[in-house]
Amino acid sequence: MGKLIVVACGAGINTSTIAEDSIRERMAKEGFTDVEVKRILMADIEGYLTRTDLVMIVSMMKIFRTFDVPVIQGMPFLIGSQTEKDVLLDKIVDVVKKV
Amino acid sequence: MGILSTIVNWLLGLGSSLLVMIVLIILGLIFRVGWQKAVRGGITTGVGLAGLFLVVNLIISALQPAVAEMATRFGISKTFVDVNWADAGIAWGWPGIAGLIVTLLIVNILMVVFKLTKTLWTDVWSYWHGSALAGFVWALTDGNVVLGIAAGVLYLVLGSLMSDLTAKKYQEFNDMPGIGVPCGTTVQASLFAMPVVWLLDRIPGIKDWDASPEGIKKRFGLVGEPGVLGFILGAIIGIFAYGTTSGDLGLTKILGLGMNVAVMMMVLPRMVSIIAEGIVPITMSIVQYMRERFKDRELYVAVDCAVLLGHPAVMASSVILFPLCVLLAAILPGVQMLPIASLAVIPFWAGAVVPYTKGNVVKTVIVLLLYSIPFMYFSTLTVDSHTAAFQMMGQYGEQIAQGLKLASWDMGGDILGFFIQRLFGLFG
Repeated sequence: MGKLIVVACGAGINTSTIAEDSIRERMAKEGFTDVEVKRILMADIEGYLTRTDLVMIVSMMKIFRTFDVPVIQGMPFLIGSQTEKDVLLDKIVDVVKKV
Repeated sequence: MGILSTIVNWLLGLGSSLLVMIVLIILGLIFRVGWQKAVRGGITTGVGLAGLFLVVNLIISALQPAVAEMATRFGISKTFVDVNWADAGIAWGWPGIAGLIVTLLIVNILMVVFKLTKTLWTDVWSYWHGSALAGFVWALTDGNVVLGIAAGVLYLVLGSLMSDLTAKKYQEFNDMPGIGVPCGTTVQASLFAMPVVWLLDRIPGIKDWDASPEGIKKRFGLVGEPGVLGFILGAIIGIFAYGTTSGDLGLTKILGLGMNVAVMMMVLPRMVSIIAEGIVPITMSIVQYMRERFKDRELYVAVDCAVLLGHPAVMASSVILFPLCVLLAAILPGVQMLPIASLAVIPFWAGAVVPYTKGNVVKTVIVLLLYSIPFMYFSTLTVDSHTAAFQMMGQYGEQIAQGLKLASWDMGGDILGFFIQRLFGLFG
């Protein structure tokens, strides 16, 4: 079964695109072919929570609630240095590997 | 000169989708993202732009006859068609876009070097606010690209100064150190909120009045879904326009309009998102470059206003504001556009206001209801340059010749943008 990472932001237009791009690139580099990276609206999150292939939520904003799957703050994708981005991507790779 | 103007005219004659494709591929090569990314980005954005104009075309053909009918039957003169984020199409498709990006980058770097601002304008997507305004001024001055760029850069520079004023508050409230949000109508909402909230906090009764965001979301959350909201609004307009006109009491037309408006509400932002999908990867290297150049300074890194939408009070306030704003626009004399597509900008305003109201729903609603009034009037006042910009890009010429007027809140109704348009209109 595939693994789904959702990248959630307020409008699904700009900020999530930035993170999606970086994560996809890294997944390809790692050779993960079964990982789907999908950007969504935070408002649409409910529909994805029931999906059994969901492994992680990357949120581009502060969320005021909790989830069953790991949530990663994606802000460094927007403003972080290359090192900070790599740390975040390593974390994501770890989660994907563990599932 | 002869050859150059021939080439320029040929390029402009290609239409905005092809033009933006070529511009982005060239920008991509300049920013060294590699030709594969450049080509993919260019084509994707061209596709998004074409798709955006298709959706707007659909809504024009559905909504324009309806608002015209409403005017004949009841004398309700709200005949401007709301296209809201179709302005992103003007922004990325007008001929000066490449010049605007490069000029703003240079101006911003100079301002940071000379310590005139702390905000690093790294969020290239959000340049669209300034670029749409630039497109209006370009239309207003009969196609003067240089004046258009000047207006757009002025707007974005003022945006970075406003971001300096609001950054700390956004950072604390959203727990995001280091960010700044220079986006047009969003950051202006914060400045507007400061004195109004100060005043509200001194009025007994309102001072401590609040409503639970969770409760509101549970009861009215459905209205927050763009498709549902669009269907309801479209059907209401349909009742005024076509109610009791045919054998089935106009029901076919009423439901049809509801569906068409729902389509617009859901598909328009998706098209904008496709445009972004092309642009963002191409411009990412700019972010990296600017970050590294200034890594020793304490600066605010510009991010999109979407990062402010996390607090539950944002959507709760928005679903209350949707119907209130439509009603207000319907009642206020002289306002000629009923907001439909433009309602989509309200959550972004709310995101900028809740840090100042500390997440209080009632105060956020009051602030934004007041804030929306100038947008209602300015979108009416700027309708001609707005419509002309679409026409000069080769869109909807036929309908515009027959009297179609296109308006929006974001960017047509923009307060700062209105005054910049008036200023540059003096040169036109």
